[in-house]
Formats: sequence, structure tokens, C-alpha cells
Amino acid sequence: MPSSYNLSYTKTDADLLNTLKSPSKGYWVALAILSIGLLIGAYGWGSQIYYGMGMSGKNNPVGWALYITTFVFWVGIAHSGTLISAILFLFRVRWRAPVYRSAEAVTVFALCVAGLFPLIHLGRPWVFYWMLPIPQMGEMFPNFKSPLVWDLFAVFTYLTVSSTFFVLGMMPDVAILRDKFRGWKKKVYGVLALGWRGTDQQWRHYTAAYLFLAALATPLVISVHSIVSWDFAMSVVPGWHDTIFAPYFVAGAIHSGLAMVIILLVPMRKWFSLKEYITDHHLASLAKLMIFTAFVVGFAYAIEFFMAWYGGDIYKRDVFLFRAFGPYWWSFWGLFFFNFILPMLFWWHKYRTNTVWLIVVSIGVSIGMWLERFVIIVTSLSHEYNPFAWGSHFLTSTEVYIIIGSFSLFFFLFMVFAKILPVVSNWEVKEVIEPPKKK
Amino acid sequence: MEIKRRDFVKLIGAASVATALPGCTRQRPRNLIPYVIPHEEIQPGKAVWYASVCRECPAGCGVHVRVREGRAVKVEGNPVHPVSEGKLCSRGHASLQGLYNPDRIQQPRRKREDGRWERIAWDDAQELIADKIKDLIDEGRGDNIAFINSHQTGSLDALINEFLNTVGSARRLNYEPFGYESVKKASDTVFNVEKIPQYKFNEANYIISFGSDFLETWMSPVKHAREFGAARELQNSRMVPFLHVGPRLSMTATNADEFIKVKPGREYALALGMVHVIVHENIARGIPRAQLNHVRAVVEDYFPREVERITGIQFEKVEKLARTFAAANPGLAVAGNPSLDGNNGALTTAAVHLLNYVCGNIGRTVVFEQTDLLENIDSYANMRRFVRSMKQGEVSVLFVYDSNPSFTMPEASGFNAALEKVELKVALSSYLDETSAQADLILPVNSPLESWGDYEPSDGVYGLMQPSMKPVFNTRMAGDILLSLKALLNNDENDASFYDYVRERWREIHQRLAPNTDFEEFWVGSLANGGRFTDAQTMTVQLNDRFAKQTLEELKDREPVEQNGFELMTYPSMNHYDGRGANRPWLQEIPDPMTQMTWENWVEIHPDDANRLGIRNGDKIEVRSSYGVIELPAYVYEGIQPGVVAIPVGQGHSEYGRYAENIGASPILLLSASLADVTGSVKWSGLDVSVVNKQERLRIANVAGSDVQGERPFLQVVTVEELIRNSTREEKEEYPQIYEPHEYPEHRWGMTIDLNKCIGCSACVTACYSENNIPVVGKEDVRRGRELSWIQIQRFFDAREDSDNGRFLPMLCQHCTAAPCEPVCPVFAAYHTNEGLNAQVYNRCIGTRYCSNNCPYKVRRFNWWDYDFPSPLNWQLNPDVTVRTKGVMEKCTFCVQRITDARQEARLEGRDIRDGDVVPACQQTCPTDAIVFGDLKDPDSRVNQLRERNKARGYHVLNELNTQPAVMYLKDVVEETTS
Repeated sequence: MPSSYNLSYTKTDADLLNTLKSPSKGYWVALAILSIGLLIGAYGWGSQIYYGMGMSGKNNPVGWALYITTFVFWVGIAHSGTLISAILFLFRVRWRAPVYRSAEAVTVFALCVAGLFPLIHLGRPWVFYWMLPIPQMGEMFPNFKSPLVWDLFAVFTYLTVSSTFFVLGMMPDVAILRDKFRGWKKKVYGVLALGWRGTDQQWRHYTAAYLFLAALATPLVISVHSIVSWDFAMSVVPGWHDTIFAPYFVAGAIHSGLAMVIILLVPMRKWFSLKEYITDHHLASLAKLMIFTAFVVGFAYAIEFFMAWYGGDIYKRDVFLFRAFGPYWWSFWGLFFFNFILPMLFWWHKYRTNTVWLIVVSIGVSIGMWLERFVIIVTSLSHEYNPFAWGSHFLTSTEVYIIIGSFSLFFFLFMVFAKILPVVSNWEVKEVIEPPKKK
Repeated sequence: MEIKRRDFVKLIGAASVATALPGCTRQRPRNLIPYVIPHEEIQPGKAVWYASVCRECPAGCGVHVRVREGRAVKVEGNPVHPVSEGKLCSRGHASLQGLYNPDRIQQPRRKREDGRWERIAWDDAQELIADKIKDLIDEGRGDNIAFINSHQTGSLDALINEFLNTVGSARRLNYEPFGYESVKKASDTVFNVEKIPQYKFNEANYIISFGSDFLETWMSPVKHAREFGAARELQNSRMVPFLHVGPRLSMTATNADEFIKVKPGREYALALGMVHVIVHENIARGIPRAQLNHVRAVVEDYFPREVERITGIQFEKVEKLARTFAAANPGLAVAGNPSLDGNNGALTTAAVHLLNYVCGNIGRTVVFEQTDLLENIDSYANMRRFVRSMKQGEVSVLFVYDSNPSFTMPEASGFNAALEKVELKVALSSYLDETSAQADLILPVNSPLESWGDYEPSDGVYGLMQPSMKPVFNTRMAGDILLSLKALLNNDENDASFYDYVRERWREIHQRLAPNTDFEEFWVGSLANGGRFTDAQTMTVQLNDRFAKQTLEELKDREPVEQNGFELMTYPSMNHYDGRGANRPWLQEIPDPMTQMTWENWVEIHPDDANRLGIRNGDKIEVRSSYGVIELPAYVYEGIQPGVVAIPVGQGHSEYGRYAENIGASPILLLSASLADVTGSVKWSGLDVSVVNKQERLRIANVAGSDVQGERPFLQVVTVEELIRNSTREEKEEYPQIYEPHEYPEHRWGMTIDLNKCIGCSACVTACYSENNIPVVGKEDVRRGRELSWIQIQRFFDAREDSDNGRFLPMLCQHCTAAPCEPVCPVFAAYHTNEGLNAQVYNRCIGTRYCSNNCPYKVRRFNWWDYDFPSPLNWQLNPDVTVRTKGVMEKCTFCVQRITDARQEARLEGRDIRDGDVVPACQQTCPTDAIVFGDLKDPDSRVNQLRERNKARGYHVLNELNTQPAVMYLKDVVEETTS
């Protein structure tokens, strides 16, 4: 693979600095649009806190809907980063080097956004900290039987580890920036570089620590989404109460994570002229991986339906019939199309090397994965045990505002990141290119 | 009569306060202000109960009003009152919302020239009226003064007459829109007495209803329901069969073992056919041979095959029914319903009278009493005559008290047009309804809960009303107003009070009932008791000699002309009756038991007709008669005959406050002005109407997520046959458990609900709203599935295999031993108490709603908003129960405040809580005693005894989930209607 790079150390350093130059007009316009989106989201959440949860479209049978759907969606997105940065690192996949930084950024930012949703969906978000194990006089403590508490711990652990991984992984690159800049920027990067000198001893410790963190992050990919899935699987709700949920959710998370990485990489390599780092080959590899994950989730769908029939439980059976033929049929068939049928295009070389198709399919998978969570959450709740209590979720503007806000926040964070921190791991790219010859 | 300890405490409280009250009422304060000088009798935190009478409908149930810190917070039935016996219906509970209605008129008003209202002082208003009356009397036109009032008996009735006497008029109308004209006419025809009999359901061995909705709105629904519940008690796996014959599957009909659908107005044929069989097979009872021949002659045309031709009921069935009914000894056949008026109402009732007569039921289950107080209700014919007088300018001053004829009289009758001719219209009304809106002067009257008075619903039952609190607003008792006017007219300085007037009248009752006792004692005792109750003086009736085939034929109403394809049927709404309940938010929000609609009225239409016209549920349809046109949402309903549309009366107010206005449409607008041919009543049914699909979806708020349960055994039904075959419990009881089992050191609270007794009346739901401060969320949120009812009467149409009758499942928190809601709460807001309650700590709840998602019964309710209790409705709130804030979960607590109360009382008395000490609000009010609460650890408790006695019927909903609910249901039972 080194053959595919035609780079020198000087060029990589220069390219890295280039990405941090004053942004273009287009960048500012985009940032402005995202800021408006953020404000819309803030307005939505603000009004929901002020007036009450009634601003969202939930009701008695459907106690969770779009917020939890979007929460799971973002947690799923987060998995792409760890998958690429940690797991591919452990497997020594060499093309990982240029893309993993942005993937990690996706993880951290997606988790930040995801972490807001459990707060947004609370009836009384101002007392969210009651879920935390804070020792106090009243001896009130969280209920560790509740999957929501597990969930909180899982997500926070994941956020901590991936942020650490993210920040530590940037150290050598930030050190370059520290060296190239002057003034206050130098100070800021200096703090972030944590006194990196690039000595052999530092490198030795650094690579050991990096390997350790990668090993620590890897099982989190599995555990976090397993635990998120247990929010559902541990309940008695037909359509949630399934042993397949943990692997099913992990596979789905990776599926959606891959899609999100493609969505971000393609424009990035264009805007930042990174074609030489992120080659067509890399994108095609991601697309191939996506075919695999599509099969995994497709298999999970099939198994769920098979079990609904084979298990003989009328409640579960009815929920699955309801999903396919009830008023939410569009979401069910939509997810099936987007998550399974659409990625099959990548069997053809033509599609997986065409950036337009890559983007189209990835957006399709993102929509499909969002729909998958929607179907699981909303259809199961609307068609639960008690037929008299059946009912449907309805859409409100507040929910739309908050979801717009969440996407805006994610992209906003990412764009800011792209202009102030190295989006491509310089030091790891350097590892895979020829070192400069001594003159 | 058995008086329980709690009842005794209530009586003592009522008695002691009653003696102190007269002093307060005369001061007429303007505000409710907490005591500056503490009242001796009222301790903060301690409830006081006042006995009174519910005046929400003519049934006149005795009530106990629970007063906390001087404010009425709850109404319950008076256990010693023979009508209610401690029970109460939804409308009775909602009388509190009449008292605290935010749209009540707060002080006297006069209409200005420009039609706007202005304030007027009480004295000025009364003088204005007195001057007008004096002028009229001087002109010799005293008889131009008229009075329309709701049905009244006792003191107020006497006072109104006295007042009219003073001015020299006899124009008085005891107006009730549903006036029982057909029953009076039928009694007159068959027995030569123009009376309405009393029915004794609990003494019957077989009950047939010919289109009578006696459990809902007819005559005395609470009493009927109570006695019906007693009749349906299982004895050796059998019970009294109940058959309903009628055109519409009403709530009463749905409770029948068999519901026979016939075309409206054809019910009579079955009754006559049964009489025919009975007299021809010589199985009649207790009538002389001569009369037998007489009856034979009357019904000679109605041989069973003829009945089959008219009604479509197979003649063998008619014969079998006749034999079974005659053998019941006694059985009870009831007929009469406003919806029959205009559609052979009198004929049906006459036929049923005859049926009861030949079976020897008269005097046993159908009892005529010496004084029948409902007979004083003026018929619609009298109202028509009165409208004519108004039109001719013969009425100069009109008083309207507690009555809304502008709304309830058919528009075509010209009442509203004639009203304009009246020079001075005085509304003695609490609300700005359609009638008072047209008045010149409104004198706001006290709610019945703020008034003295008395009411006799039937012979020998003297209910006594006392104010439970000082008036909320600047209002006066109607009696006081009349007395002041009288004093003004007589230039009498002495301003007598209505309280004295009532007392004087009770001196007469004292003389009659207990002449040898001290009057003070008698009076205080009556106040504490809620009145005096003696046995009714019954009268025997004989078949009218002149009763003949021809008289029967003459009772027939004209067959409706069918030109436009649909026959209209209107019926009093269960919640709103004739419309007077429409401004009570509870009654708007609590679903109609059959349709589960809220905040709406609707047109019931048969699926065949609906398919033909392309109408789906909730489509806007136009119903047009020759007299009017209305638009309403459709409710596609199997329970109605093809070719018939049914619309409940009560909605469609243009005035009457924020909760009533602009909801639905009133079917009264469609009615003709003319009288029903024979009875002189309004033709509530049988009108020819057209139905047009307006191709528009309306936003209806229907609570039912599904009308059917399919394969889900939520609501289980057995037949008596199955019960006799199998008397053991079928359910698996022990399942493995991961968590440590809970320990209940003292009590484990539980409930047994007998589905066979639940009639669906939803009184428990209203009682729960009242007791537990449950907010009303309004139409839009009900439509979205956000109603907050802690107990819900869920209705399924497919629970029974043999019929499509809807059955009811009261669904409330099951207080599971292994509750799915508890482990999922991240903050322990849902937790298990050591008495087995699934407690919900509102203060701890952060609102994840996970508990609700995980509740398979879906009984948890979330506070989507901060709900508003517009002043003064907030004064109804029970101080013992927290008002919940937005963002927290709530649900049934098994009335934990009552458990705490009972525990404290027991502790004070140094004993344990006894069975029956804790009675949750739902059980307290249930007219049929379907709900029983108690300690599951006590083997002798009623709740356990019931389970023990009904082993084969007991089941837990979703037992297979191993939630181990504390609520056990007893399966609904279907009895055979023919033997």
C-alpha cells in the first residue's frame, strides 16, 4: 500500500497547515446556516422545558419516540469512529491512517449530541443528575437494576475513553502545529500537545499507551451498543424483549457508522484536497464493509420475524404484523430498502468507486438506520399488550426543531474541528510513507 | 339498616355542624376566606361530611358532601338514603363542578339596551322585579306572571306556588325535557291511574327491558343499577337472566345476556306476543278468570307468528320467552325511554304493563305508590300551550329557575321567538345558558350544594338538603329570592329566610312521622340523616275495564314516513343528560361507555349504511330533517339498526360556558314542534332524516385504541354452563422469580373486580377524578392519547362468543408484586411499599417514562403539561392528594391517602385496620359493588372471600407475564335467557 502514496514529510506538514488556513466564504455560510439550525434546536428544547413534554408528539402508549430514536441513531454513528480508529488499528489495517482522525471526531461529537437526548427526553431535565450516583444526606441513589442507569454509565464511559483516545491521538500532530504557529495559537496548541517533544522515549511510551487505549476502546464498541439495546431488550414490551438485540444493535451501529464516515470523508477530501491520503481504494473498502454489515442487519431482521412467528407469542406476532402492514408500514419497508437493498449496489465496482453513489447510498443507510430505531421504538409501543391502549405517535414542530438542532450541532462541531485541529493524522500517515532521505 | 363505623362518624360530623350552620348562612359573605376566628367544629386537616340531596337529575339521590376547611371537595352517596344507598353516578360527582364552575354567574346582572350585561345590586334587582309585578297586579294582570322550573318537590315547590298565589297567577311549569309522558299515558290506559310506577329490580327473577335504558338515564339510574347489581349476584353459579329488546345497543342493552335488535317502535309486539302466549297457555298468575278472557281479547291479534312478522323474532323464541318469563315469579319487564317517545312509547309501556300484570308482577316488582312525585312534571303539550300564551303576549314576567328550555325545546316549537314577547325575563340561574342569555335580568342562585331545601324522589322518601359551604359567589338561594320578592310585594319588612321556610315545612313532616318527639331533635336528626325515610304507601291497581283492543291500537304512533331513508333516534346522553351536564369538564372528558367518545357528540350509523355512503368513523356527516340541519362526526356502530341514525342529546350549546360551547351539535334542532300523537311528549324519535357524507375528516377524541381484543384474553367471559361444569381455578399461579420476593409484614392491599357486575357506568372514573385531583386535559390532548384517567372503563365488542355486546374491563394500576415498572426506574421513583403498593414518588420522578413503556397494562399517566384548574375549580382539589407538576408520572395509588387515614384512625383507637376500613373512591361509588378492596393477607377479608367463592371465575390479566397483579378479575358471566 505505501506505493499508493506519493508524499513527503514536508508535504504532509504543509498540507496539514493548509487545512487550518483562514476558511473560505462557503465555510462561513455553512457555519452560519448550522448556527441557525442550532438556534432552532435551542428554541425547541427551551419551549419544551418551559411548557412541558407535551410539546413533543408522545402520548400514553408511545412514551419514547423521536428523541430516543435519534439518541440511538447518534450512538450508532459514534461507533464508526472507534471501529476505524481502534479496531482497524489493532488489525493493522494500513489505509486507516488518513481517515481515522475524522472518524474519531465523529465518535466524540456524535456522543456529545447523543448524550443530550436522554436529557431532552426527560420530563424534568433540570433534575437529570438524580440519575448520577452522588452520595448525599438523603441516601438517594440511582437504581442499578434500571437499564437506563447502565446506559448512562456505558455512554459516559464511552465518551471518556473515546475523548481521551481522540485527544491523545492528536498529540504529535498538535505539536507540529505548536511549532508552526506563533502567538496565542501557539499557547493553545502547546497546552493540547501536552509537552510533546517527539523524543524516542516519548514515542515508545506513546505508542504503548495508544495501543492500550485502542484495546480498551474496542470492547466498548460492543458493550455500549449492547447496553443501549438493553434499554429495550430488558423490558417486557413485545418487539423489544429479544435476546438478539445486543448483536443486532452493534451491527446496526457499525452499519450506520460506516455510512456516516463516507458522508464525511467524501466532501472532506475534496475541500481539503486530500485525494492523495483518502484514495478511491479506501472508499471502496468502506463500501465493501458496508455490504457485509448490510447482510448482518438483514439477517437480524429476518431472524426477528422468524422468531415472532416461531415463538408463537401472539403479542409479538401482532407487533411484527403491525410493523409491516400497520400505519407505519412505510417506515418498516423504508428501513428494509435503505439498509439492505440499497447497499447491494456496492457489489458493482462502478457504484462503490463513484463518490456520488457512495454519498447517496450512505445517506440512504443513515436514513434507514434512523428508521430502524424508529420502527423498533415507536411501532412496538403503539401496539403493545393492551389493545384498548393502542395509539400512535404524532409529529410536532418541536421534535423537528430539536432534531434539526441535533444535526446542526453535530456538523457545527465537526466543521469547527476541521478548521482548528488536524483532520488527518499526520504522524500515522508519515509512518506509512517513505521517510525523507538524509541529504 | 346497617350503619358502618365510618358512616357513623360522618353522621356525627354532619349533625354537629348542621346545628351550627344556620348562623353562618345568613351573613352571605362574598368570598371564601379561611377562618380568622377558628370555627369550633371544623379542624384544619379534618374532613366534615354534610348530608344533602343531589339535584343533578330528578332521581334525587342522597349525598354526603365532604368538606375540608370550609370547602366542598367530594360528593359521595348517602348510605342511609334509600335511593342511592351510598352510591352515586358520574353526574352526581360532577355536581361539584357545577358548584365551582368558572363560568358561574357571580353576581346579579341586568341587560342593557345595547344587549351588554351590567352589574346590579341585589336589592335593586329585586325592587325592579317587585315594581314590575306591582304594576301588573295594579293593572289586574297578575296572571301574566309565569314560572318555569326544573322538577321540584317539597318546600321550593310549595314556595313557588305560594309566590304565584301572591301575585295571582297559576302559570307554573314543572318542566323536564324528558318527562315520562308515555309511562303516564300507558298507566292511565291499562290501569286507569296516571302514574309512574317504581321498579324493583332486586326482587325480580327475570328482567326484560323493552328499549328502556334504565341503567343510564331513565328515572333513577343509580337505584336501578344498585338493584340490578344485586339481582345479578351469582347464586350457585346462576343468576337472574336479563334480556334487552330494542333498536340500539345502549349501555343497558350491552349488559343483557341477550340483546334482541328490533326496529325502533316494534318492541311492543314482543310484549303483546308474550302476553298472548301466557294467557292462552294459562300460565298467567294472580288474575281472575274474567280478566284473563278480557286480556285474551285484547291481545288476540298478537299470536307469535304475527310477532315474528312485526319484529323478526322467531315465533318459537317468543313462546319460549313467554314461558320462561311467566315462570320467573316474579319477573320484571320495563319499558319507557325518551327515545321511545314518538315511536310507540305509550304502546310499548302499555304492553309491558299488561305483561307484568298477567305475570302477577304488579305490586311485587312493579309498584305504584300513593304519591308519585314525577307525575307532576308537565308534559311537552303543556309547554306548547305555554309557548302559545307567550306568543299572544299573555306572559309579561317570566321566571326561569334551573331550567334551560331555550336549549331543550325543539327549535321549531317557537319557544325562543315567543320568549322575546315577554317584557321581563328573569333567570334564576347559576349559569349563562341559552335561556338566561336571553333574560333581562339574571339573579344567580346558589348551587344545590350551597342551598337549603328538600326533595322527595318517591313516596315516603323525604330528602333534606343543607348547604355544605358558604356560597362561592354573590349568589342567593332561589327560595330566599322568592321570599324577599314576596316580602317586597306585601310591603313586609320581615325578611324571612328560606331556611326558616324549610324548617316550618318539616314541622309538618315531624307531625306526620314522629309527632311525639321533640322537633329540634327530629330536625337535627333529619339533617344528619339526610332526610327521613319511611316505607312507601303502595296502591293496588286493577286492569282498566274499558281497556280493549281498540284502545291499544289508539296508542300507536303514526308510522314514520320514510322519504329520505333514515329514521332519527335521539337519546339522553349518559354524561350530559338533557344538556345540563355539558359544562362540567369531567363529564366532557370521561368517555361515553359505548362509543368511548369524549368532548363530542356523534351520529351512530350502521356499517351497511356507512359503507353505502362511503362514511368512515369521524367523517363529517350532515343530518337534515324538515325542521333543521346539523353536522356531526359519524360513529359507525354495529349496535344500531340499518336505516336508523342515533344522536345523543346534550351537546351543541351556543352558550353555557367554556366547557360546553362549540362542541358538537344538538339533535333537538332537528325535531319537529308537533307532539307525539298520543302522549303529548316531544317526538324524540321516529323522524325522517337524510344523511349526507360531507367528505371531511373531523378530529374526534375517541379513547378506544381498539374496539376488539382479538385473541388477547384481557376480558374473559364464561357461560353459566361452563361455570357449573368447572369450579376450580384454571390459572397457573407460581412462576420462578429472579429477584428476592417482597415481604409484606402487615398488609398486602389488593382488589377483586367482578366483571359480571360492572355495567360500564364510569361512576368510578369520575369519583377517581374527584378524589385524586386528576386534571382534565381537553379534547386535543384526549385525541392524542394523553388523558390522565387513573381508572379506565375499557370496552371490547368481541369478548363474548355468542354476541357482539360490548363488555367492560375496569383497568387501573394492578399493583403487581413483580411490577415491570419498578426495576426500570433509574431513580426509584416507582418502588414497592411493604404493603404491596406500587408507589410513585412524584417528587423523585424525573420523567423518563420508562415505567410507562414497560407497563403491560398501560395504566401509567404522564403529566405532559402543567394542567390548569381555572379558579374556582381549584377549590375542589382534595387537600390530601398532591397536585402533580409537569414532567412526572402518576397513576392509581389505591387511594393511598385513604389507607393512611384508616391507619391513623385505627392507631388512635389502638387497634389494627379492619376489613372495610379502607374504601377507595372507585369502590365507594360503584353502584353494583363490582369493585372490592382489602387486605390480601387477611383470609377473612371480603376481597379474599370473593376470590374464594368464585374460584372458577378468578383470573389475572396477562398472568403469563408473571407480574403477579394485586387486582384479580372475576370473569363476566352470561346467563341463559330461555330455559
